[in-house]
Amino acid sequence: MKHKILIIAGLALFFSVVTYIAHDLFSNSSVKYSKSNPYEYDIQHLNKFDSVSVSYNENLAFRPQMLEMHGVATDYSDRIYVAGNKFLEIFTKTGNLLKRIALDGNALCITIDPDKNILLGMEDRIEILDMDGKLKEKWEPVSQSSIITSISSDGKNVFVADAGLTSVYQYDISGKLIGHIGDKDPHRGIPGFVVPSPYFDLGISGINEFWVANPGRHLMEKFDFEGNLIKSWGITSMEIEGFCGCCNPSHFTILKDGSFVTSEKGIERVKIYTSEGKLKCVVALPQSFKEGTRGLDLCVDSKDRIIVLDPVKKMVRVFAPNIDSKNNN
Amino acid sequence: MRKKAILFLLFLLTLFQSMESFAKQRFPKPEFESAYTQPETLQPGPRYELLAYLDVLVLLSTLSLISWLILKKRSRKGVFWISIFSLAYFGFYREGCVCSIGAIQNVSLGLFYSAYTLPFTALAFFVIPLVFTLFYGRTFCAGVCPFGAMQDLVAIQPQKMGSRLNSVLGLLPYLYLGLAVLYAATGTDFIICRYDPFVGIFRLNASFGMFVFAGILLGSGVFIARPYCRFLCPYGVILNWFSRFSKKHMTITPANCIQCKLCENTCPYDAINIPITVKNPETKQELLKKFILICILIPVLIAAGGYTGSKLHTTLAEVNPRVRLAKAVMDPVKMQEKPESYEIKAFKSSGKPAKQLLEETNEILRKFYIGGWLLGGFMGLTFGLLIAGRLITNYNPDYVPNKGTCLSCNRCIEYCPVKV
Ligand code: SF4
Repeated sequence: MKHKILIIAGLALFFSVVTYIAHDLFSNSSVKYSKSNPYEYDIQHLNKFDSVSVSYNENLAFRPQMLEMHGVATDYSDRIYVAGNKFLEIFTKTGNLLKRIALDGNALCITIDPDKNILLGMEDRIEILDMDGKLKEKWEPVSQSSIITSISSDGKNVFVADAGLTSVYQYDISGKLIGHIGDKDPHRGIPGFVVPSPYFDLGISGINEFWVANPGRHLMEKFDFEGNLIKSWGITSMEIEGFCGCCNPSHFTILKDGSFVTSEKGIERVKIYTSEGKLKCVVALPQSFKEGTRGLDLCVDSKDRIIVLDPVKKMVRVFAPNIDSKNNN
Repeated sequence: MRKKAILFLLFLLTLFQSMESFAKQRFPKPEFESAYTQPETLQPGPRYELLAYLDVLVLLSTLSLISWLILKKRSRKGVFWISIFSLAYFGFYREGCVCSIGAIQNVSLGLFYSAYTLPFTALAFFVIPLVFTLFYGRTFCAGVCPFGAMQDLVAIQPQKMGSRLNSVLGLLPYLYLGLAVLYAATGTDFIICRYDPFVGIFRLNASFGMFVFAGILLGSGVFIARPYCRFLCPYGVILNWFSRFSKKHMTITPANCIQCKLCENTCPYDAINIPITVKNPETKQELLKKFILICILIPVLIAAGGYTGSKLHTTLAEVNPRVRLAKAVMDPVKMQEKPESYEIKAFKSSGKPAKQLLEETNEILRKFYIGGWLLGGFMGLTFGLLIAGRLITNYNPDYVPNKGTCLSCNRCIEYCPVKV
């Protein structure tokens, strides 16, 4: 009798396992559609920064008349240039439209050189316009796969960031390709660029030096015009001091005192770092942007106002230091 | 000699070189230091190729050693210590993966899906125990499989269940094997891994549910020795087939059986065939009748099983995530009842037309229709052979282990008074 009871007990337990498997596998009620993604990393808590640490106020915003906008730049008289699909628009520093120029394609980036040329990165090629918007030059594309995401010029040299081929090109102002900079070269201690998505920015910072954002490595890297890597800074972190995600900083620009203004995607934020790469202050927090905003191109004017292109709200947004932080400084 | 030593050293250095290149990161690791909980996955993290080869080497060594201990040394103690080692190495250290049972799915997927590259270790873990079984019986089950070792530890009050119950329950592993192959071959899921009862314990990260699942199975194992091995393990089915043809299976007695009956009740797995001698041999007519009956019964059962399987193909296919998704997307009533899942959201945001999903689903259903026939036919055949086995009397004069079901644990040996 005891023998039978033990067998029944054993079988009951065993069949409860089999029943569970069969039920879990076939039952409709167990259709495992999860309401939430099990792999999702909830980063909401990272969006909630102390707004007291924000040292800038948005004191101007205006809307360009184009559907798709990618690049923003200022010139010597603080006019604001916005480049996008099929159009280039020029505004006064207070946001009044001065001129609208039709383009032959999609401009992904823009810069104004000291000789008053407008340099545009038109997806895979460079175009140079005069201040009236007349096409002066069109350079041959390096490759059909090029995606030119940033351009900067000191009047003699033109540096171009190509996210498609993950390379930086150095041209002279006549459009002659001088060479590639920053490609992986262990002998020269250059780790190479990692550009998982088309956000790859650069900017000349002074005589014989320019900076490149290496977004996959979360680094800002400084090169000389000979292509030597001079220094780099940046830490990978979800916290406010660092950069995170697959490609950040997505954009940057440089203030008069050599500080960096950076923008990020994923956790949308604009921050200022000292020239040594230490976090100085916050310009805008994720609350200021629509979730999922990417492509926050930046430029500064002569008053160090920070101009942010918000392609989701389709606005040019101008930030200036708030009074308190000015007083503190 | 010196030259050889230098060559060996250089070889070692190249191995380290390969480890370095495996360790290289293409991108910096994503930073998940804050508040991220990694969801449970079916497989543990990837392993250096070199260490994967080490696993194969350990498998080969333990199998060789245990086969020698079982057949030559006739040692139960040796088997016990090997099973403790296997539990520690393949179980807790290797976290139950790669395992021969799960490798069935890798092999099935490799056979039916050309884009899948069958990992060498999975193939090795599938084939090596089979080869050993073909020579020496189920020495793998005796103490190399960590699942078996784990259950062996809890078999405190094993009860004899009788051959009829054993035979009926013995059909379950065939069904599990058929389903596992079907789902792996159609790229649906690796159900053996999904319902692996012990993996959570091996990885020391079992959720409460998994812990209860394993606990219940082990609990039943107190009274029914090795329930997973005997009544669920799909690899056990294949080992059973191979073991029947084993060249040198273990024997209870080292010499002639003296029919002392001391071993009769020692097998916790009901795997000892008791002697059946020819007292009233069946007449030729009776044998012919049985033969004709079997010849008719088996094809009929195969056809009936196949037909039933084909009729059930949509139910079987509902395990496939693509089919489930299609069902949820195409069935707006259900969708209203349930909040939209992230799978549906992901599908919608992919921009794929529903028509394409439907086409993919139809293709999967077609595969399941064929699979349903094969699975049903296989079950029909298994059932037919079970009946045939019960109709045919196997005459054997001695106490012998059943070569198919004997797990070569060597327990019965200790009770045999015959010594050489
Ligand atoms: S070795 Fe003996 S006790 Fe062990 S499973 Fe085989 S027949 Fe049973």
